[in-house]
Amino acid sequence: MTMKKIDKEVLKDAARRLMFDMSEEEYDVLLSEFDTFIKQFDIIKENKEALDYEPMTFPFDVHNDMLREDEPSRPLSREEALENAKSKKDGQIKLPKVVG
Amino acid sequence: MEYLDLSIKEIHNALIQKVITPLDLVKEAIRRAKANKDNAFEFILEQEAIEEAKKLKEPEKNNLLWGIPFVLKDNFSTKGIQTTASSDILKDYVPVFDATVYQKLKDKKAILIAKATLDELAMGGTGMSGHLGYTFNPYDPTHERMIGGSSCGSAVSVADSIVPFALASDTGDSVRKPASFSGLVGFKPTWGRISRFGLFPFAPSMDHVGYFTRSVFDAAYLLNVLAGYDESDQTSSLVAVPDYTKKLKKDVSGLRVAVIKEIIDSLKDKEVLDAFQKTVSSLKARGIDVHFISLPRKMLESIFPTYFVISCAEATSNNACLDGIKFGSYVDGNSYQEIMNKSRTLGFSNLIRRRFIIGSFSLMKENKEELFLRAQKNRRYIVDTINHVLEEYDAIYVPATPSIAPRFSDSSNKLSPEYLIADNHLAIANLAGLPSITLPIGFENNMPFGANFTAKAFDEETLFQIAHALEDITGYFNLSVRTK
Repeated sequence: MTMKKIDKEVLKDAARRLMFDMSEEEYDVLLSEFDTFIKQFDIIKENKEALDYEPMTFPFDVHNDMLREDEPSRPLSREEALENAKSKKDGQIKLPKVVG
Repeated sequence: MEYLDLSIKEIHNALIQKVITPLDLVKEAIRRAKANKDNAFEFILEQEAIEEAKKLKEPEKNNLLWGIPFVLKDNFSTKGIQTTASSDILKDYVPVFDATVYQKLKDKKAILIAKATLDELAMGGTGMSGHLGYTFNPYDPTHERMIGGSSCGSAVSVADSIVPFALASDTGDSVRKPASFSGLVGFKPTWGRISRFGLFPFAPSMDHVGYFTRSVFDAAYLLNVLAGYDESDQTSSLVAVPDYTKKLKKDVSGLRVAVIKEIIDSLKDKEVLDAFQKTVSSLKARGIDVHFISLPRKMLESIFPTYFVISCAEATSNNACLDGIKFGSYVDGNSYQEIMNKSRTLGFSNLIRRRFIIGSFSLMKENKEELFLRAQKNRRYIVDTINHVLEEYDAIYVPATPSIAPRFSDSSNKLSPEYLIADNHLAIANLAGLPSITLPIGFENNMPFGANFTAKAFDEETLFQIAHALEDITGYFNLSVRTK
């Protein structure tokens, strides 16, 4: 699969998916940052020997097979769970209607 | 009253002898925190700290943290205390639970006096991007120089002797680089050694709890308290926790240390190089077998882009929960999408939004193989190479930073070896999850700079042992702007 061409439209699409807006000036800054980023990334591509390695997700495996008893621990009360929500009603988070 | 200029161990002795009380210490720490002009704090917890100090009457001889004031970086959950991660999106957030490390310190009756500033969401290395503005280096009264980040406020609080230790987090070098710029001991352990429950995640495959102290003994003692398995953090390790202070004074002769030649070659600052070479000679004089070894230059230059792609990608995903709805800053709208969009647009700074886009771009299905997975493969290549070195050596020793703290106005060529290698090699220990410590080795224009040791996974005992020998060599014990 060929890598996506980096232009403003692609970056705007990424921002839309990430659910925030940016100004035109910010996109210009980002485009120039991408220019540096891709040049830095090209150094990785020069490490051909790395192609033989498996992708590394964590530094090492943590052998941790302890299972706790199947009992709830540290549950949040309804009040605690709602404490930081700004829009709430009748013990629930209140949002605009989604359907109908 | 100058007891706060002392190390934890020395303050403890004064508490035991009852020449001071926790209340005296806390009042002085609060006074110093308020007088500090470096923008180090999100919140100073004056009333809460004084109340806690008043409760402590009888000193505990075997508990060095009894009554000791400390600071937390503002990305640790503190129940009932606002926790912002220096981001507007969390400016109203009050956690409903405590981070495990905070709970452990409370259990030891240490006293939290403030929450410290950071680069927004811990994503930065300059101390410039927090929502309260720049955090300054206390060694530079003109406020032209940074202290580095992301743990900027925690570093200030120890370098200005407001507290003898401060907790922070280290994902790329966020403790160990500011430690170099502020003459402190900056330590992060093996990945999994300290529970991260309650630490706001940035890039969990590389996030570590770390901390600043002014002595190697204090750093080792703190690990005794903070290390260990935590059922709330399934990445925490079951490996037994030894007494990390035990081997500190043991003879270091016969230990083997590797210096990476390419890192030295990428440095330009003569004073840093000279001071470093001097320490190498002194370590050799103590009987340590120091060897200059060579590693592939391209591999070392690829550390930063590897770290950058992986950290941005992980951060994009981890911060998806910051939507303004469940917690944090909320902006009203006509649909939940509009609420999220407005909350996230106003809540994140420009820099954070751009990093999220880079992360998201790396994860797009057309790009994932070529960017994200390629970076992950390169990560294993780097980690295997470094671990191979550590099969032969007890530690790797290098200058922590290429220079003293830069000015805010300084710019660097982001494709130069100095930037890619000398300025960013500390991320090796995050990619590999290895224990790593920075400590001061010299001054240039009255600004400190440090060197760094990295050791095998779970071999913090040897790491502290060698660092303790270096501290003994340099004499830079308990350094702060008040005692320099």
